[in-house]
Amino acid sequence: MKNAKAGPLLYGFLVAVLAASVFPLYYSFIVASKDNSVLGEKVPPLVPGGNLVENITRVFDTVDFWLAMQNSFVVAATVAISNVVLGTLAGFAFARLRFKGRDALFLVVLGTAMVPTQLGVIPLYMLMSDLDWYGTLQAVIVPALIGSFAVFWMRQACEETVPYELIEAARVDGCSVLRTFWHVGFPAVRPQAAVLGMFTFMTAWNDFFWPLIVLDPNDSPTVQVALSTLASGYYTDYSLMLAGASLAVLPVIAIFVLLSRQIVGGIMQGAVKG
Amino acid sequence: MTDLRTRTEAAPAASVPSSTPSKRFGLSRWDAKYTPYLIIAPFFVVFGIFGLYPLVYTAWVSLHDWQLIDGNQGFVGFANYAELFGDTKFWNALFNTLSLFVLSTVPQLLAALGLAALLDRGLRGSAFWRAGVLLPNVISVAAVALVFAQFFGRDFGIVNYLLGLVGIDPIDWRAETWASHLAVSTMVMWRWTGYNALLYLAAMQSVPKDMYESATLDGASRWRLFWSITVPSIRPTILFTVVTSTIGGLQLFAEPALFDPGFAANNSTGGSDRQFQTLVLYMYEKGFRLFDAGYAATIAWMLFVVVLLVAVVNFSLTRRIAGKG
Amino acid sequence: MSRRLVGSVAATLVMVLAAGCGGSSEADGKVQLSLGLFSDFGYDKLIEEYQAAHPNIKIEQRKVKMEQHNTQLATQLAGGRGAADIVALEEGVVSQFRASKDKFVNLAEYGAKDLKSQWADWKWNQGTADGGDFVLGLGTDMGSLGLCYRRDLFEAAGLPTDRTEVAKLWPTWADYSKVADQFTAKTPNVKFVDTGRNVYKAILDQTEEGYFAKDDSYIADKNDKVKTAFDTAAALGTKQQTGALEPFSQDWNVALKQGSFATTTCPAWALALIKAGAGDAAAGKWDVTTAPGGGGNWGGSFLAIPKQGKHPKEAYELAKWLTAPEQQKRIFKETGNLPSQPKVYQDPEVQATVNEYFNKAPVGQIFASSAESLKPTYRGTKDSKVGPVFGTALTRVEQGKQSAADAWTQALKEAQDAVK
Repeated sequence: MKNAKAGPLLYGFLVAVLAASVFPLYYSFIVASKDNSVLGEKVPPLVPGGNLVENITRVFDTVDFWLAMQNSFVVAATVAISNVVLGTLAGFAFARLRFKGRDALFLVVLGTAMVPTQLGVIPLYMLMSDLDWYGTLQAVIVPALIGSFAVFWMRQACEETVPYELIEAARVDGCSVLRTFWHVGFPAVRPQAAVLGMFTFMTAWNDFFWPLIVLDPNDSPTVQVALSTLASGYYTDYSLMLAGASLAVLPVIAIFVLLSRQIVGGIMQGAVKG
Repeated sequence: MTDLRTRTEAAPAASVPSSTPSKRFGLSRWDAKYTPYLIIAPFFVVFGIFGLYPLVYTAWVSLHDWQLIDGNQGFVGFANYAELFGDTKFWNALFNTLSLFVLSTVPQLLAALGLAALLDRGLRGSAFWRAGVLLPNVISVAAVALVFAQFFGRDFGIVNYLLGLVGIDPIDWRAETWASHLAVSTMVMWRWTGYNALLYLAAMQSVPKDMYESATLDGASRWRLFWSITVPSIRPTILFTVVTSTIGGLQLFAEPALFDPGFAANNSTGGSDRQFQTLVLYMYEKGFRLFDAGYAATIAWMLFVVVLLVAVVNFSLTRRIAGKG
Repeated sequence: MSRRLVGSVAATLVMVLAAGCGGSSEADGKVQLSLGLFSDFGYDKLIEEYQAAHPNIKIEQRKVKMEQHNTQLATQLAGGRGAADIVALEEGVVSQFRASKDKFVNLAEYGAKDLKSQWADWKWNQGTADGGDFVLGLGTDMGSLGLCYRRDLFEAAGLPTDRTEVAKLWPTWADYSKVADQFTAKTPNVKFVDTGRNVYKAILDQTEEGYFAKDDSYIADKNDKVKTAFDTAAALGTKQQTGALEPFSQDWNVALKQGSFATTTCPAWALALIKAGAGDAAAGKWDVTTAPGGGGNWGGSFLAIPKQGKHPKEAYELAKWLTAPEQQKRIFKETGNLPSQPKVYQDPEVQATVNEYFNKAPVGQIFASSAESLKPTYRGTKDSKVGPVFGTALTRVEQGKQSAADAWTQALKEAQDAVK
C-alpha cells in the first residue's frame, strides 16, 4: 500500500499545497525584484521585475548582511547541535535508563515547556546585563542550548526505536552508560535526531523577539535583527526588506537539502524483532 | 530520485568491546547510578538559570506594584490577581486565545496528518515536496505579515476580491471578531501545518512495513489501514504534537501582533475593540506599552496555569481518541 | 549579588562561545558613542563631519523600527544596561519617559538651559520636567501640521483646487466637516479623509489643555474641548466619510496608490511617506495647504542621554551640535524634517523650499507659519495611556461597530481606569 504508485490526482493536490506554501515567498521575491509601488496594486503582480540585483546590493550596503548571516549561522548551528547532543542524551536517559526520580524529573521537564517565553524577558535581560553579555552572541545561544522540545522528542524517539534488549546486551557486556548510548542508542535515532536538528536550526534562525532585545544591531546582529534594521524608518522600504528576507531563507533551505537524506531515510525495517 | 534508506544495524552490541571483569563491576555500578543524572543535568542547569529563575522572578514581580522602568513600587500581595479576575479585558483575551487556539490547532493537526499520509507514499522527488511544505516555516515573520496584510486587506485585499467574484460583500477582516479569528488562524495554519506534517512523516516512516502486509493481504482499504494501523502506531508523536501545539497555540503573539496595523504605531490592543488580542498580546501591552510590569507578570502566570490545564486536558483526550485499534 | 554567582556558575558549566564580543566603549583609545534612533534622522553626513572634526570620537547609529526602539529602550532602562549613549524620544512617548527621568542625565548639568532660546517655548517645554529645571532632551525636528489634499479628487467634487482657495474653505474644523459633506454629496464613492483619528488628534493638539490640565490632573471627562474634538471626528466616521485606515500602514499605502481618500492631516515628515505610498503616478496630484484651526503639531523628537552611558559629556556635545540651528537647516534640506527652531524655519532659504511632488507647494512657508501659529498643548505624564483609548473608540465608530455616543462612554470609562 505504501509503495503503490502515486497517481496524478495526488500529485495535483500536492502541487496545489506547494503553490499555497510557496506563494508568499514568491510574492516577497517579486516585491524584492521591483520596488515599493508594486505593493499598492490591486492585483498582485506575478512576474518578477528587474531590480533584484539592485535591491540586494542595497541590502548589503545598508547593513553588514554577511556578518548577520554568519552570526545567525553560528547561533543556529550551535543551538541545533547542542540540542541534538544534549537532547538525545537526556531523552535516552529518560527513556531507557532506570534511576531514582526519573518520572518526577521528566514531569518537571514537561512543566518547563509551558512557560511562555515573553514572560521571562525582563529578568533574563537583567541577568544578561549582570553577566555583561549584552550584545554578544552568547546571550542568544546559551539560554537556548537545550530546550524541553528536544528532550521530549528524543525521549520519544528512543522509546520507539531503541529496544531494551540491545541495551541489556550492551550492559551485560560491560559497557558504560555513555558507551551504550553511543553504540546502541544514538545510531537508532539518527533520523529523528536529524529532524530535531533541522527544526531547531530553523527555529533558532527565525527567532526575533529575544535577539531584538538583547543584540546590538550594529555590532553582532543576527539576520532577523538585520532585517528589522532594513525595515526601520518612518516608512518601510519593503522591496529592500524583502530582498533581505529572500536572502535569509537560502541558508535554511540549503541545510534542509543537506539533511534531507537523513530526515527522509527510514529506520529499522522490522529489525526491531532481530 | 529515491532516497537511500539507511538500514541501521540491529546488533551493534557485537562490536562493543568488553573490559576486564573486576574493573567492570565497580565502574559499572557507579556508572549506572550516577551517569543518568549527569546526562540530564545540562538541561536542568540551563533551565534553572534561564528558565526557572525568570519564572520565579516574574512570580515575585506579580506580587508587587512594579513599574517597568522605575522598578519596585511596593508589595501588594495578591491585589494584582484580584484585579485580573475582575478585568473584562483579561477574560476577553482569554476567550480570544482559546478561540484562536481551537481554530488554528485542530484543523492544522488534522491537515498535517493528512498531508503526512500523502507524503508517505513513495513519491518521486520526495525531498522536494518536503522542503516545499516546510517553506512557510522558513520565511521570516515580517514577510509573512506583509503578504497576509495584502490578502486580508479590506478594500483591496485578494480574499475580498475573490469573495466579490462570488457575490459576497467585502469583509472587514480586522473589525469583526469572527473574521479576525479566521484570518489569524489561517496565518497560523499556513505557517505550521508543514512543520507538523514533517514530524508525523518522520514517525510514519518508522512504522515497520510488515505491520501493513497482513492487513493489505486481507484487502483492507487505504483509509482503513491509515486509521487502524498508522495512526495508533504514531500515537506518541501525535500526543507530542498535541502538547507542543497546545503550548504554542495558547501563546500566539507574532501572528495577531502583525495582523494589527496599529502594532507598529505603539498600539497593541489587537484590534479596535480587542477583537483578536491574545493573552500574550495583552501581557505585552501592559508590560511594554503601559509599563505596568507587575500586572503583566500576573497575566503571564495566569497564562502558565491556563496552558498547563489545557495541555493536560488535550493530552488525555487525544490519548483516548488515538488509542483505539 | 546572588545573580552574579548564578551567572558565573552558568558560565563555567556551560559551553561559552567566544564569538562576537560586544563592542567596548573604548576602542583603541577612542571614545565610542552610539545613537539610538528609530528612523532616518538625516544624520549620516553630519556624523562623518563630526568624526572628522573630532578624531578621538567614533560614532555609530543604531536604527530600528519605532516600536522596537521604544520597547528596547524601556528594557534597557529597566535593566540598567545596553542603552545607546544618545537616544531619540518621540513626542508621543516623551511624557512617559519623563516619569522615569531619574534614568536620564539632566542636561541642565551641562549647561543645556543656555540653549533654551533656540527653540519655541512649547517645544522646549515638552522636553523638560520640574518646571524647566530638569532638561530631559533637546528638540530635533517637529511635526508642524498642514493639510494635504488631492487636487483631482477635489475637482471632481466641484471644489476649488488652488491651495489658497482651499485654505479659505476651512478656517475652522466645523467648516472642514461641511466641506466633507459637500464632497461626499458629489462623489460618494471616494472617502474624504483617511481617518477621523487624525482630525481628532489635530483638533486636540490645538487646545491648550486636553486630557490633562497643566497641573497634570485628569480632566478629559469635564473638558468640552475633548468632547467637541471627539464629536467632530466621530461625525465623520458615522457618516462613513473616512477610510477607517491606520496611517502609514500597508492598507494606507494601498489606499494612497488607489486614490481612495482625498485629504489627510500631514505633518512635514509625512510628505515623504505620502509620496512613497502614492507613487510616481500621483506626482502633482497631491497638494498642501493650511490646516483648519491654525497650527498644530504631530510628532517631532528629542535627543536624550541615559544615565547609564559612559561618556555623558561627549554625548551632550554631540547632541547639542546635532540639534544646533545650522545642522537642523542642513537636515531639512536633506530629508525635509522640519526644524524645531524658529530661527531656522524663519530662514529665507528654508521658507523658499518648494516640494515638487506636491504640486510645487511652498512647504517651507506653509509649515513655518503653522509652527508660528501653534498654541501648544500640554501633555500629561499619563498621556500615552489615555490617548490610545480615544483612538480605538474612534476606530470603532469608523468601522461601524459602535455609535459615537457609546464609543464616547466606553472611552471615558477606559480612560478613567487607565489613570487610576
